Amino acid sequence: MEGILFSRGVPEERKGLKNYLACGGYEALSRVIKASPAEVIQQITDAGLRGRGGAGFPTGKKWAFTREAQGESRYLIMNGGEDEPGSKKDRMLLEYLPHLVIEGVILAAYAIGASKAYLYINGRYEAATNSTSDALREAKAASYCGDHVLGGDYSLDIEIIPAPHNYVAGEDTAVLEVIEGKIPQPRQKPPFPVTVGLFGKPTAVNNVETLANVAPIMLHGSDWYRKFGTPDSPGTMIFSLNDDVNHPGIYELPFGTPLRHLIENCGGGLKNNKKIKAIMPAAPSSAFLPPEKIDTPLDHNCMRDAGSALGCGVVRLVSEGTCIVEEVLKISDFFTAECCGQCPACRMETNTLSMLMKKVQQGQGGDAILEQFGKVLAFNKGKGYCNLIAMPGPPIESALKLFPGDFAAHLATGKCPVI
Amino acid sequence: MRICLVCQNIDCKSRGSEQLMSELQKRITAKGLTDVEIKPYMCFGACQEGPNIVLYPEKNWYAKVKVEDLDEITSHLAGGPHVQRLDTIDSSLKELIYQLLDTGVL
Repeated sequence: MEGILFSRGVPEERKGLKNYLACGGYEALSRVIKASPAEVIQQITDAGLRGRGGAGFPTGKKWAFTREAQGESRYLIMNGGEDEPGSKKDRMLLEYLPHLVIEGVILAAYAIGASKAYLYINGRYEAATNSTSDALREAKAASYCGDHVLGGDYSLDIEIIPAPHNYVAGEDTAVLEVIEGKIPQPRQKPPFPVTVGLFGKPTAVNNVETLANVAPIMLHGSDWYRKFGTPDSPGTMIFSLNDDVNHPGIYELPFGTPLRHLIENCGGGLKNNKKIKAIMPAAPSSAFLPPEKIDTPLDHNCMRDAGSALGCGVVRLVSEGTCIVEEVLKISDFFTAECCGQCPACRMETNTLSMLMKKVQQGQGGDAILEQFGKVLAFNKGKGYCNLIAMPGPPIESALKLFPGDFAAHLATGKCPVI
Repeated sequence: MRICLVCQNIDCKSRGSEQLMSELQKRITAKGLTDVEIKPYMCFGACQEGPNIVLYPEKNWYAKVKVEDLDEITSHLAGGPHVQRLDTIDSSLKELIYQLLDTGVL
């Protein structure tokens, strides 16, 4: 089945305005600008579009909350912070299909009643930023944004903001802080950005890929969109595969496609014909799945039922011969390094988990040390301003459950069992 | 060897825990407590109550410690009374940290 966003695969070069218009670009906007914002929200709700940033929250619901919240002005933010290790989808969309994303931004802003939108793009992604900036100039010159969109009453100013390159800077409330000129630290929730967001005003923060789906839905309708994917997760999702497979890259697949298809048909399987030891469907924060779960459909509910998560689609594979203790130590250290430091519980949890994992790796401490992981995680559950505190748990706890032998070998010898 | 762990994470440091460590070391040396070793600790998870000092294996936790409290803490290490007024930390957090220390995480 064809994709929705990369319907003819990833283009060889950036799609400029002329090329985008030839493929029906901005037709959705031309129609929508004559309709009411409520109709846009209804169409997106009917399509069942869910956020692609990781949480899978229904986009129509988020927009309705923002539109209905009290406030004399509203904001739309495109979140292209994308600092998850191995994720490439947002920068690819911005680099190759910037007008598709920008049209989605304009439609979203119109739907929620925003007259200002920010494009928050990871500062490291120069090509994506330049491409978006060029497209924004073209769109403004053609009156798709700026004053009096397509000659009507609606006006929208769009501004690009470079995002700091750290993981927490992509958290939605940290995004608000950065745009307000502060350091990237998440805010306590509630209140949620949809009611008290940027500069205290109702704000919708949407991921790049989420917004890229908006124009196709508005152009072709929700029934068409629901032909892709599953009833729970309609449409497609872009998955990122990295160097552990023969053909790394991004792959847009309908929700519900078996994980096996992504790994074997798209990725060409593990390099050097190695066998899979574990699959992490949403690296680096999801639970590991054993290889026998390879036929699990790529869908939010199915992944949850299998014991893991879909996240933002970075699928990592661990090959046989790889020590899981070393893998989990890297993950623990990643979260320790990325903890912004403002919540005591998160600081203590991430530091302690890293320290415990290091002790296991070095073979220090007996079996009792393994019981401490669960205790530290349980003590800190539900604490902290953002979700980072909940992220090290699934990889650690699933690794302990699936591969007790790797941990036992490290504790006994201080070395990996496979080397 | 008895160990005196002084938190050195951001909050505790900003409240003077580096100075506390060096001042405590001076007092321990002056008292001739050769069986006490002072070590930094990365975080006890009670930052809002910092600076925090934990004595192990005694399992005593002193919170919101100031330089002027160090003489009493040193006396406690030398066999004097427990400094009750600095013992304010929630018991569940204490239990978690003491269990971690029991597993050899120092």
